[in-house]
Amino acid sequence: MQFSESLRIGIRSILVHKLRSFLTTLGVIFGVAAVIAMLSIGEGAKRAAVEQIKLLGTNNIRVNYVKLTGDQAEEAEKKFSRGLTYHDGQLIRENLPNVKGVTPVRFVETSILLGNKESTGRVVGTDEVYEWVTNFHPSEGRFICALDVADAKRVCVIGDEIRSELFGYRNPLGRRIKIGDTWFVVIGVMESKTVKEGKASVIKLRNINKDVYIPITTALKRFTDEDRPNSIEEIAIQVEKEEQVVPTSEVVKRLLNRTHKGVNDYEIIIPAELLAQSQKTQRMFNIVMGSIAAISLLVGGIGIMNIMLASVTERTKEIGTRRALGATERDVLIQFLNETIMISVTGGMIGITLGVVMAKGINLFAGWETVISLYSVVISFGISALVGIIFGIYPARQAAKMDPIAALRFE
Amino acid sequence: MLVSVKDLRREYVMGETVVKALRGVSLNVEHGEFLAIMGPSGSGKSTLMHLLGCLDRPTAGAYSLDGTPVEKLGDVELSRLRNRKVGFVFQAFNLISQLKVVENVEVPLIYMGVERARRRELSLEMLQAVGLGHRPNHRPNELSGGENQRVAIARALVTKPQIIFADEPTGNLDTKTGHEIMEILQGLNERGTTIVLVTHEMNNAKWARRLIHMQDGKILRELRGEEIQRLKDLFQD
Repeated sequence: MQFSESLRIGIRSILVHKLRSFLTTLGVIFGVAAVIAMLSIGEGAKRAAVEQIKLLGTNNIRVNYVKLTGDQAEEAEKKFSRGLTYHDGQLIRENLPNVKGVTPVRFVETSILLGNKESTGRVVGTDEVYEWVTNFHPSEGRFICALDVADAKRVCVIGDEIRSELFGYRNPLGRRIKIGDTWFVVIGVMESKTVKEGKASVIKLRNINKDVYIPITTALKRFTDEDRPNSIEEIAIQVEKEEQVVPTSEVVKRLLNRTHKGVNDYEIIIPAELLAQSQKTQRMFNIVMGSIAAISLLVGGIGIMNIMLASVTERTKEIGTRRALGATERDVLIQFLNETIMISVTGGMIGITLGVVMAKGINLFAGWETVISLYSVVISFGISALVGIIFGIYPARQAAKMDPIAALRFE
Repeated sequence: MLVSVKDLRREYVMGETVVKALRGVSLNVEHGEFLAIMGPSGSGKSTLMHLLGCLDRPTAGAYSLDGTPVEKLGDVELSRLRNRKVGFVFQAFNLISQLKVVENVEVPLIYMGVERARRRELSLEMLQAVGLGHRPNHRPNELSGGENQRVAIARALVTKPQIIFADEPTGNLDTKTGHEIMEILQGLNERGTTIVLVTHEMNNAKWARRLIHMQDGKILRELRGEEIQRLKDLFQD
């Protein structure tokens, strides 16, 4: 018998019992939908992590200030360690001449005003190197220069969102804004950068489009923190090559350990390592989710097998008749196997559609980034066909091995 | 010689007992014969028919169908033989309920590898021949018993087989319809189709030109022409 004939027979018997066929496919539908949705979450999280890390720079090392509390804070005070300071940044620059760039970052909690309009932005004190270390450049005007830093000038470079917030479509260059109690001249506007603030984020990233950059010296002089003079929140270090990241971070650690006298009021973050870590976590997540999806597919497969076994029994007489009319064992086997594969593959296709819808839904309602990759669709489709073959072969063999005479007599 | 059977034996193992369904049957059937096989239940007549119809293989003995020795054939060859040379008509019609009448007739042609359009053509022709040309698209459950059996006959004939095995073809029908079915079979026989009828009704057996009477897996006696008529009269008395 031709394969197309066998397909036609299969489609027929599926359509005869529409509801039953649909219920049979449900297991596969949910299984495949789960696989697609899980993989899309995993893929989305992976992509988000990669994007974030890229934003931090894989050639970069970040040293962050850590606020100590309780006993640790007391110990820090005893040892005169005052957290991360501007001095630490200079020390790193002097002692590690081979690093490409070192830049301090200080966040200033103060207001940004233009007339009566108050901005929701954040004031960041830094120096001319920041632009290069973070690979984040102005789209208009210029960034802070060495002279601005040396003279502690009252100039600022505003983020793209701050520009639209305060100036709308007007040209902000040369205009003055009030930061705290001081007037600053806008000398540049930063380019716009997409920052995903998804829930699956590995690292908390601030929205840099809302930053207002001022020279670090100005930030330290005009917005002095009485408890921690010269304090900064972050030092960003850029090295030439990715493989220098880890050894450089070791040196930085030793250096800071000495100046901070062993007080851990800072942490060293290596984006590349974070990436590796997050990928490892992601893999675990994928395995767990994959197993859950696989179990549901297994259950679906067993459901199909159960129904097919019942169907074989129910159609014993048909099998006997077909055999009497010239069907070989193989014809019968293929007929039933085809039916199972068609059920599971149809289920697979519905499942893929449902999975895509679910992924979009998760993205819409939970805010998680989801990415549906071609390979997840191919895998799901393949798995559903495989489920059909694995769980279809036994009932189909039962049908094929039936004694034609007994089958003909079956009532 | 169409059918040639020598000392055919068939044993079934049922648990620990061996059931001897056929205990050495020898039989020849010529082209164009109308043979009836009669006997009480358990006499082995169905077993004989299944063996002759290539649905089963004998435990011992030789069987050749139209010159092909059957007893050693594998599943594929046996299926092929059933498909090409044999037609079956069953007591319960054995139509596939989800298929239309014409599609039921097409089933053996599918296994023969006949292409779709030709299949439909042949099947419609055959339905016409059994007087159901006007109802090809009905489902079996929309037809009467007699009509169902006619569809089954059309199905048996569509491959132009050498021999038709009819197993109690009127068993599920009333007398009048049964008579009509027997008339169709006789008409076929008159046009040259060999027919082997398995029945326990003397009324049907009278249509045959030769009758073998089986008992306990053996042929008890063989009657021809006039003798059958006499036997029938005897039954009626």
